[in-house]
Amino acid sequence: MNGGTVLPLVGRPDRIQRVATNLIEIAAVSKVYDTSQRGRHVALSEISFDVAEGQFVSILGPSGCGKSTLLYIVGGFVDATSGSVRVSGAPVTGPGPDRGPVFQEFALFPWKTVLGNVMYGPLQQGLSRTQAATRARELLGLVHLTKYESFYPKELSGGMKQRVALARTLAYQPKILLMDEPFGALDALTRKHLQNELLEIWERDRKTVMFVTHSVEEAVFLSDRIFVMTNSPGRIRKVFDVALPRPRVRAELLVDRRYQEMVVAIEKLMDEQEPELS
Amino acid sequence: MARVNAIPGLSALIACVALLLIWDGLSRAFAVSGLPPPWGPLRELPNLLTEPETLVNILASLRRMAIGFVVAIAFAVPIGLMMGRSRAVAAFFNPLFMVIYPVPKAALMPLIMLWIGIGDMAKVLVIFLGVSLPVVYHSFQGARSVEEKMLWSAAAMGLSASQRLRRIVLPAALPEIMVGCRTGVVLALITMVTSEMIARQSGVGNIFFTALDMGQYDTVYAMIIIIGALGFFCDVGFEAVRRVLVAWAEPSHQIAVGSA
Ligand SMILES: Nc1ncnc2c1ncn2[C@@H]1O[C@H](COP(=O)(O)OP(=O)(O)OP(=O)(O)O)[C@@H](O)[C@H]1O
Ligand SMILES: [Mg+2]
Repeated sequence: MNGGTVLPLVGRPDRIQRVATNLIEIAAVSKVYDTSQRGRHVALSEISFDVAEGQFVSILGPSGCGKSTLLYIVGGFVDATSGSVRVSGAPVTGPGPDRGPVFQEFALFPWKTVLGNVMYGPLQQGLSRTQAATRARELLGLVHLTKYESFYPKELSGGMKQRVALARTLAYQPKILLMDEPFGALDALTRKHLQNELLEIWERDRKTVMFVTHSVEEAVFLSDRIFVMTNSPGRIRKVFDVALPRPRVRAELLVDRRYQEMVVAIEKLMDEQEPELS
Repeated sequence: MARVNAIPGLSALIACVALLLIWDGLSRAFAVSGLPPPWGPLRELPNLLTEPETLVNILASLRRMAIGFVVAIAFAVPIGLMMGRSRAVAAFFNPLFMVIYPVPKAALMPLIMLWIGIGDMAKVLVIFLGVSLPVVYHSFQGARSVEEKMLWSAAAMGLSASQRLRRIVLPAALPEIMVGCRTGVVLALITMVTSEMIARQSGVGNIFFTALDMGQYDTVYAMIIIIGALGFFCDVGFEAVRRVLVAWAEPSHQIAVGSA
């Protein structure tokens, strides 16, 4: 990964301040995909923003604007072409247990049971089998899957699989959750259930979350801040601060003017950039 | 169909009887000494199988087959997995295997015998070569199609590249590896018999071809039945192991119901 300009900490009190409060610092990150068939494609261009510790931020944008790519770069799964990402002040050079991904495709280990999947991270961290099982069962309780601990992934529905995936990631206690359209493959009702569960879990320990979604309502319902991106090259177009009170209850939000106005404002903005797609 | 399947092995029994009847019919139609009716060989079977010499030969064959098979798996699976996950490794081994692939392995027997003599080693080596290629190929395919997000999830948990190869790629590719191993079992049997045809000192192939040279057709056909049965039981045994190892990947019908 190419390091961006690293400012010396000495003599920069404002900088020290920022290190303390911003868990994720994304500085001028660009990503160029070089494909032999289609040539160079600029997926991300000079993306810069910070995420404060404990914040829930969403990234919205048209398909192909680089939302996943950005999340993968923060996760350390993909290298940026230029620019830098820092987490807790240290540059990201690869994946690590401080950043837990949850993918749209679940990516469960099919040869492990539900319990085995959730225990995997804790065992890797050196916990004993009993300790790991205790922690895993706690999390399975949190996602309402206690009865399914001995099931294999193929025996679960999509919503259940995503609950297991979330529990598996929470089990190794990452500071940051990186969620790439985690509910995108689910039906509307399951999706709402899981949004509620995610908010409940989040309100307990206020992890820092980067959440990619296509759904404006979902973003407004869940987030503190929303980054709306533009298409090719992927750039941040506008940032929305969601000042809705927490804990949030869907039924109350739906009749809340501020919620409605924000959804409409974002929808409008996203409609405007539709012509750019073609 | 349902009723035939109700008694285990019944359909197999019917197939065996049908085969014997066809065999009997053919031998009557052609009436040559090289194709006796099945009843002579069937009577010969118990004689052969109670002779210590035959048993020693069968065991010698199975031993070579097992050694060649196990060594091949130990060699082919890691190579195939690494080829599937690294372009450099694949680029290195691919041409090599492409050259070896179309060569009938038993045809290398005379050459191998020149290098390392006519002993067990030569035959084990030929079996090893025969088994390796399908196992390499299927391990490669299996490793290549492992979902990337699964590897990323593991990397986030802190698994190193070599840990991911052993603990993620290997189990994820296991169903596909097993397909290669099953082909490998059959190829091991074939190369075993042909290697014993070329270098005859012991083994089922040795009895078979010696009997053929001497025109003892009942023994020849009894040996064919024995070799066929060996193949059948190897395959059944292997399938039982496979089912246990990759049960998690089989499409499920009854498992989920009722346990919730
Ligand atoms: N491995 C790759 N090789 C080449 N191009 C890629 C690769 N991955 C992504 N791209 C390109 O980069 C751009 C951004 O992709 P990305 O998956 O990040 O978009 P996205 O915003 O997540 O889209 P969606 O909402 O559909 O998931 C797309 O134009 C895509 O074609
Ligand atoms: Mg995406």
